[in-house]
Amino acid sequence: MFFIPGPVIALLTFPGIIIHETAHLYFCKLFKLQVYDVCFIRFGNPAGYVLHEKTENFTTSFFVSLGPFFGNSLLCVVFCTAAFLPVWELKVADPLAYFFYWLGLSIGMHAFPSTGDLSNLWELAPEKAKAGNILAILSFPLIGLLYILNFARMFWADLGYGIAIGILGPIALFRALAWA
Amino acid sequence: MRQATCCECGLTTTVRSFYRMNGKTYCEPCVWKASREAKAAGQPAEYVALQDNSVCGRCGAYSGDSSDHPIVGKIPLCSTCAPQVSNWPYPGWLKISLAVLLLLLVVALLHGRRYFHAGRTMYVGERLVEKHEYESAIPYLQETLRIAPESDKAALLTAKAALSIGDINTADKAIQGHNKGHFEDADNPEFAQVKAMWNRAETAYTKAEEAAKLEQQDGRAAEAARMMHEAASLYPEARGLAEAAETADEGAAFEAKDYDQFLAIAQKMWQQYPGSGTAAAVASAFACKYAVTGDAKYKQQSEEMLETSRQKVDPDPEQQKWFQEYAERIRHRLDTRQIITKTEYDRKFRGGQGKGE
Repeated sequence: MFFIPGPVIALLTFPGIIIHETAHLYFCKLFKLQVYDVCFIRFGNPAGYVLHEKTENFTTSFFVSLGPFFGNSLLCVVFCTAAFLPVWELKVADPLAYFFYWLGLSIGMHAFPSTGDLSNLWELAPEKAKAGNILAILSFPLIGLLYILNFARMFWADLGYGIAIGILGPIALFRALAWA
Repeated sequence: MRQATCCECGLTTTVRSFYRMNGKTYCEPCVWKASREAKAAGQPAEYVALQDNSVCGRCGAYSGDSSDHPIVGKIPLCSTCAPQVSNWPYPGWLKISLAVLLLLLVVALLHGRRYFHAGRTMYVGERLVEKHEYESAIPYLQETLRIAPESDKAALLTAKAALSIGDINTADKAIQGHNKGHFEDADNPEFAQVKAMWNRAETAYTKAEEAAKLEQQDGRAAEAARMMHEAASLYPEARGLAEAAETADEGAAFEAKDYDQFLAIAQKMWQQYPGSGTAAAVASAFACKYAVTGDAKYKQQSEEMLETSRQKVDPDPEQQKWFQEYAERIRHRLDTRQIITKTEYDRKFRGGQGKGE
């Protein structure tokens, strides 16, 4: 397993970090949570953050914590879809397509929520699930999986996730279109 | 900033350095000790940090001894920080960046439009190949290759589809059009499959060419027919080879002077592939029957089929020339009731060489 310093990764994939933090901020504003500080990107650890008010509302916490996961994943699939065919299937040497692939993968690579984001949800989920909150019940497996994947970051699970959705997403999409 | 005093050690300093437990104020070392003792005595041991409402929880601005900052949520905030915390603004550069991202998204989708088209036709073609609908698949895959001739997948699928219906020319174009026949991954199963099909087709056509050369030689029609059948069975996907094998059977029957068999094959071919060539072959077979039996009905049938062949012949000069040559020999057979090979005919009347019935 090879090691690349965090600031280098941040530099190479900065669009994903900015979009991740923007998604956090967006959902904080959407659910009217107070935001105490925001850093969209920096060469440190973490590479970006949004400090916001804690909430006991599971839905709010779910979207604030996992909003970047869904947002980054979606944008990754969209940009990679635009680039997938020329790069992987059609073998067209199109620089713009490679640019979109880099952009898509950069965004997808930063889809994972941080352990801090997940711990908020993890604390709330059992109590809310017991109280019959459907979202809390349904999100248990996802939170668990994301926890594991988050720890697997040291094995490049985040890059693996970006590549997986950047390739498998478009394949599934185009195959569905071909069968339609 | 406001100050407080520890109830245990008497330390006096800023409020934010103190904690409250069970209604008393402690400094940090004393609250740890008091909490341990309370826990041991079975009393409540939780403590909380004291909040100085005169200090902004975000920027640390002091409101003065006489007034507190308003509490927003659970934190005292100054008049500058309070509106920002409640409605954190998106920075200008971020708005511009997001607008650029949106623009890039539109560009990506517009730019990728022709690739989406090529990709879709490829996937449709692939699906048709999987369903063994090779003939329908080829136009889709050719459309993909028009946009992306370097696509290994599209080239191999096109070649596979074409070879599966015996269309060796389309397969050749697809393979040669792809980096002059060079493929990145020789271990790719698709590549191996197409290569095996291509080699089989190539061997079959080489054999067919040899058979065609033999057909031109007197006395070797049976051998030519056997070879042509071998070629056809080696590559059954090529309908043309099966036709050529049946045509070779005609030649073998003619050479063996089995004119009934010659006529039967010629008539079968005419029914299967009604064209000028097959009509001319039937005319030739009837002419042979007339030559050996003298029955006028065969002569009439031969002339009728020769006329049919003339009507169906292509206006192409080469085809016209072929018809004239063939018709001349059949008329000679009908006029003289002599059955001679093309070689003999050429030698007698044209001073040249050749073979054929």
